[in-house]
Amino acid sequence: MASEVLEVQPKPMTRYRVRTGMFAWMLHRLTGLALVGYLILHVWGLKSMTDPDAYNYLITKYHGPLFKLGEFLLLGAVIYHALNGLRIVLIDFVGWSPNQKKLFWTLGAVAAVLFVVGGYPSIAALVDFLRS
Amino acid sequence: MNITVKIKRFDPEKDDAARWESYSVEADKMDRALDVLMDIKWHHDGSLTFRKSCAHGVCGSDAMKINGENKLACSVLLQDLVKEGGTLTFEPLPAASVIKDLVVDQSGFFEKYRAVMPWLINDSPAPEKERYQSAEDHEIIEEATKCILCGACTHSCPSTWADPDYLGPAALLKAYRYVFDTRDEESEERLKIVDSPNGLWKCYTIFNCVQACPKEIDITRWLSALKRKAVTTRF
Repeated sequence: MASEVLEVQPKPMTRYRVRTGMFAWMLHRLTGLALVGYLILHVWGLKSMTDPDAYNYLITKYHGPLFKLGEFLLLGAVIYHALNGLRIVLIDFVGWSPNQKKLFWTLGAVAAVLFVVGGYPSIAALVDFLRS
Repeated sequence: MNITVKIKRFDPEKDDAARWESYSVEADKMDRALDVLMDIKWHHDGSLTFRKSCAHGVCGSDAMKINGENKLACSVLLQDLVKEGGTLTFEPLPAASVIKDLVVDQSGFFEKYRAVMPWLINDSPAPEKERYQSAEDHEIIEEATKCILCGACTHSCPSTWADPDYLGPAALLKAYRYVFDTRDEESEERLKIVDSPNGLWKCYTIFNCVQACPKEIDITRWLSALKRKAVTTRF
């Protein structure tokens, strides 16, 4: 028998059952990346501020249905990222770890309310667009 | 009840990669997951390899991935895992090299354990009887002392999957157990070890470790306490 030991090496990613905690973390990462992506787009849009024509053109684009949908998603990402961030702060700084699941669903309910209230103008604009 | 058992197998002498093998097994709903493995080894396929010793949740030998999440095979009952005619899956712990079938290389896990100096450090002269610890003082570390070092937590952590050098929940919990031990005098050195790029700050409160722990230790809670201690201590 050869002295070389053959082994199956570990992988950096693995299929694993997703429970509340890991779901919250994955969504936090995803929304975090989405917000960074948005920030780049936002700063890129700002550079047209020096040229009135380009600025007006961009603003009309921002009123389009795709951007209204994007606004809606952005709101969702901001709300989730902020509230889950608060959840992590409560867990790490206050020691609320035993209540982490309840905390997730409670903040989820708060997020849903904020999402509906804050997202209303975007939905209304989208509905108007689809009607016309 | 009759169930199908799928096991991720790997024989270093025959296989180039891991492969799934299925067995049809007759079992009782009150059987432990470990009983199913032993039944397969004894009556179906003697080449099946897994680690077990006490079989009563004390030695921590048989941590493995059961139905997609890490559990201690001797501490879970079939009725909580699978229904009549259902499928039960066994895989080795993730984030560790597989030596054979369900046996993983634990050397990395124990290296991390040793890195946090898991022993009592107290250089003052020993008293005649014992280094006394009051019940209240013990209460602080009580839950953390229940760890059996099975490795279910560390191998369930996405931070460990991504970075094999991350100390991981088991070692960090052990660090908590000694840093918060009122008899220990060397918590500063230990805090320096855990307050490092491969230490505490890779804990993103994902809670897979808490879910996996067969002793139901709220690991994240104690790691958070250790984080607070690390940021409030001046070195």
